[in-house]
Amino acid sequence: MTDKEQPKTLYFTHFFSLLGKGTVYFFEDLGKYFSIIWWMLVNSRNAKEYSRNIFQQMVTIGNNSIPIVLFVSTFVGMVTAVQSSYQLYDWIPRTVVGALVTKSVLLELTPLLTALVLAGKVGATITAELGTMRVTEQIDALEALAFDPISFLITPRVIAGILMFPILVVFGDLLAILGGMFGASAIAGISNDAFIEGMKNSFETWDAVFGIIKAVFFGYIITSVACYQGFKVQGGSEGVGKATMNTVVITSLAVVVMDFILASVLL
Amino acid sequence: MIQLTNIRKKFGDNEVHKGINLEVHPNETVVIIGKSGGGKSVMLKMIIGLIKPDSGSIVVDDKEVTTMTYKQLQRLRFKFGFLFQGAALFDSMTVGENIELALRRHSDYKDGDIRERVQYALNLVNLENVESVMPSSLSGGMKKRVGLARAIALTPKYMLYDEPTTGLDVETADGINLLINELKKTLGVTSIVVTHDIHSAFVIGDRFAIFENGKFILTGTKEDIRNSPDDNVQKYIESEIQT
Ligand SMILES: Nc1ncnc2c1ncn2[C@@H]1O[C@H](COP(=O)(O)OP(=O)(O)O)[C@@H](O)[C@H]1O
Ligand SMILES: [Mg+2]
Repeated sequence: MTDKEQPKTLYFTHFFSLLGKGTVYFFEDLGKYFSIIWWMLVNSRNAKEYSRNIFQQMVTIGNNSIPIVLFVSTFVGMVTAVQSSYQLYDWIPRTVVGALVTKSVLLELTPLLTALVLAGKVGATITAELGTMRVTEQIDALEALAFDPISFLITPRVIAGILMFPILVVFGDLLAILGGMFGASAIAGISNDAFIEGMKNSFETWDAVFGIIKAVFFGYIITSVACYQGFKVQGGSEGVGKATMNTVVITSLAVVVMDFILASVLL
Repeated sequence: MIQLTNIRKKFGDNEVHKGINLEVHPNETVVIIGKSGGGKSVMLKMIIGLIKPDSGSIVVDDKEVTTMTYKQLQRLRFKFGFLFQGAALFDSMTVGENIELALRRHSDYKDGDIRERVQYALNLVNLENVESVMPSSLSGGMKKRVGLARAIALTPKYMLYDEPTTGLDVETADGINLLINELKKTLGVTSIVVTHDIHSAFVIGDRFAIFENGKFILTGTKEDIRNSPDDNVQKYIESEIQT
């Protein structure tokens, strides 16, 4: 073997050992995540005792996210209206725009974009909060006071996420459709009557329900992953920063993957 | 009584405990002295089952901690008050709520009794009119006092202090040391104190254990420490003379 070849094979084995370590680490992580979820389910009775925490979290996750969700949804509706009217041939009736906006907003755009925005806002907040509690030993302190920190901190956040995401999406749907109507009339010159007619003709309750089901899953995945990431933080404020970034990345990826899975299974 | 026997613990490749033995008798204060990053905090957390050792035995009041179920651990933890290094106050709650939290959940006290109990705990640590203050606006010394009040609210039998005077100025530190001695008298608690401050250690301790490289290299009284020929022990004495 020449001197030149050796480093190459070394890099190669190094690459595979890294890959191997990464895989092991990934599954270890996944196992720890599910053991927390399992604990949460088994001890769900305890959640009743922490109803105050659930209510608090519903306010933090829900109320505080309304402005940004409404803002984003309105613009999503407007853009969808403008773009779909731009893409249509002249011989297609304009009422189609109302139908297109309604369908795409309810089925896909509002749930997905709400989730992606909240992956940043809600997910990052939760991880930073719980991560700080971890590194300042507040979670240890809870345990030392004979509290179950999973029931006390994680369960309320996940329940609040599951309850509030669908509500946010319903508000988002309404604003997106209104925004679409406004965009259609202001930019593309489509009358509100035509828009509404298209909307009525195409509206199916299932579309809205499907969007809401997605929101439940997104609410669950974002809050649970964010809590897990916060809980396992190590190494001071640097660790909190890293974990927060991980949460945003992981939950965003999980949301789009879950979006695809749910569409494949339910549609 | 608390009894640690041959405790070993590794985090990955980092072997922090290489066979620890320690006995703490009723109503005594044992001070563990050692470098930071050595594994002293981990040791305290093991005693109440927050961290499991890889091997060895921890016995509290004749019961083995390492094999306890979750329910048993909860019951064990009632016996302990834990003062964390940075006080670990819940920063989303007021001082009053911090102290009440465990009382509300684990006792049958009515609202009035709880308020009284909070008052009592705050009195013991010489604080007043701070119930509605948020922890973030307290000084380091006051945080420790509130942490102490929270730890004693449920009248523990044992107290674990993790670096109670680290990061405090000398005067504030002396105040905390006095408190630790007073709590021992008024509540009759048995205590383990972790510190790297030998001066404070001598003020509060009955017995001392020097922790070095994963083991106790010496366990004994003040005299045993002063008379030890071991350099690793003497360097702590020298640091006392300097301060
Ligand atoms: N939960 C944990 N996971 C991994 N390593 C830990 C954990 N807790 C502590 N350690 C490591 O164990 C060593 C001892 O920590 P600690 O007990 O906090 O030291 P100290 O003596 O300063 O209190 C440190 O190197 C720390 O990084
Ligand atoms: Mg420590």
